[in-house]
Amino acid sequence: MEALLREHLEPLFFSIKESFERNKEFLIDLDSKTGDGDLGLTMSKAFSAAHESVKASNSSNLGQILAMAGIAISRAAPSTMGTLMATGFMRGGKAIENAQRIGTKEMADFWLAFSKGIADRGKATEGDKTILDVAAPVAKSFSASAEKNESLAVAMRYALDAAGKALEATKSMIAQHGKAAVFREKTIGLQDAGGSALYILVKTMHDFVLA
Amino acid sequence: MKKFINKPENFVDEMLKGIYASHPQQVMFVANDLRCYVRKEAVKGKVGIVTGGGSGHLPLFLGYVGEGMLDGCAVGGVFQSPSSEQILEVTKAVEQGAGVLYLYGNYTGDILNFDMAAEMADIEGIKTATVVGNDDVASAIKGEENKRRGVAGIFFLYKAAGAAAAEGMSLEEVKRVAEKAKANVRTMGVAFTPCIVPEVGKPSFTIGDDEMEIGMGIHGEPGIRRGKLLPADKIVDEMVYPIIKDLPFEKNNEVAVLINGLGATPKEELYILARRTLHILEEEGLKVFHVYVGEFATSMEMAGASISLCKLDEELKRLIAAPAFTPFFSQKQL
Repeated sequence: MEALLREHLEPLFFSIKESFERNKEFLIDLDSKTGDGDLGLTMSKAFSAAHESVKASNSSNLGQILAMAGIAISRAAPSTMGTLMATGFMRGGKAIENAQRIGTKEMADFWLAFSKGIADRGKATEGDKTILDVAAPVAKSFSASAEKNESLAVAMRYALDAAGKALEATKSMIAQHGKAAVFREKTIGLQDAGGSALYILVKTMHDFVLA
Repeated sequence: MKKFINKPENFVDEMLKGIYASHPQQVMFVANDLRCYVRKEAVKGKVGIVTGGGSGHLPLFLGYVGEGMLDGCAVGGVFQSPSSEQILEVTKAVEQGAGVLYLYGNYTGDILNFDMAAEMADIEGIKTATVVGNDDVASAIKGEENKRRGVAGIFFLYKAAGAAAAEGMSLEEVKRVAEKAKANVRTMGVAFTPCIVPEVGKPSFTIGDDEMEIGMGIHGEPGIRRGKLLPADKIVDEMVYPIIKDLPFEKNNEVAVLINGLGATPKEELYILARRTLHILEEEGLKVFHVYVGEFATSMEMAGASISLCKLDEELKRLIAAPAFTPFFSQKQL
């Protein structure tokens, strides 16, 4: 697949929804160790609503569809991670406003805005052991691929690789935000829950593009 | 806890039902959500003004929704921010083709949700602008005004921006007016007793029977000095002089004055504060244009008061003087 087109969005979001459904218990367990354990439910609800929104949309503007999916996430999941994920999609969608296709360049613009959006909203910086620690490396990877004019498939592979490494790296970080911050040093060795959710998102997009 | 309550968790919704039932000509809710509170009659082509914030401060925030003031309010739980979705629903309901101004107090949760709503509104094609009230002199030092909390003085922002929108000004102009009012309003508060959030069921802090706290926030945030209760005039001195010094207000400035009760303090006492406040203003050579005395921003059953001053130019004077009519506040043309 060279680029995501309008007709790909509904099946893509269906895949994402299914992924989070499959990983619900995994995320609940992970989040229970340092948070309030609702992340699996939140993400499942969030992407189920996002899928509904994409399915119902009659827009041909891909950025608008993604931004509206963000609004749907915000409605369905008004928790911290839901709000951050919503902000990511809203900002990302806005950044590729009027896009008719999503190739490597659009993917880079989407993820840069996504990453900046969650940093702004969550007032987090890289290294704080948050979703940003996976989102920012993914954005950087897509940017680098865009500069080198890589195909979307290759860019997705690099991005997944970056996401995996970034998620692994969160294990050595100490949580600074939210409920997890209470546990501080005890969070060492655990991969970040929000970062894990983002990894699942990237992995699903990767599998979809390369299928 | 001695309150008129059925169930603590129904406190806000039952209050809202009471308001809608009592003022059916003036206000209603949208999106099938009691907490999405809007004016009954929309004015075509007018800039919409939306506020929001936690419950527990009546007449703040929803009390200023009505003719000549605001168009909608997203209502949160007691001392809790409304959700971004509620703000968005109110925004969509009040948009009349001229854009919407978000005008609310400087609190982290409210900022997060209003910013989120602004982004969502933008995606849905509604233009918004934001002005955040931060009049509480006691909550941060001069030079760090952006850290100050919004308290009773936001009334002047509502009044000026509301009148500006009613005059037919554009979104940019209404925002400019709100910012001008914001730059010219200062407030100081004093608390005598704590308040009780219904779902918590016990006082938010403790304070001695013979003590007061100068500068305490409307949710019981710490003030700048706790000490023995002083005579009324001495307390007023401790509130008004810092306000005058902060802007600063200068000789011959024209000002509007707001003497606000926090919930449990009787109006009699507020007029004792008014008397001393006006005496100081006269001594300082400030010209008083109008005095408001009553409850404008409360903190449940907290005893105490706040004093706000708003420095006026000709435009602000005209806007403050304009008539307004809401279920909680009305005035004739001054």
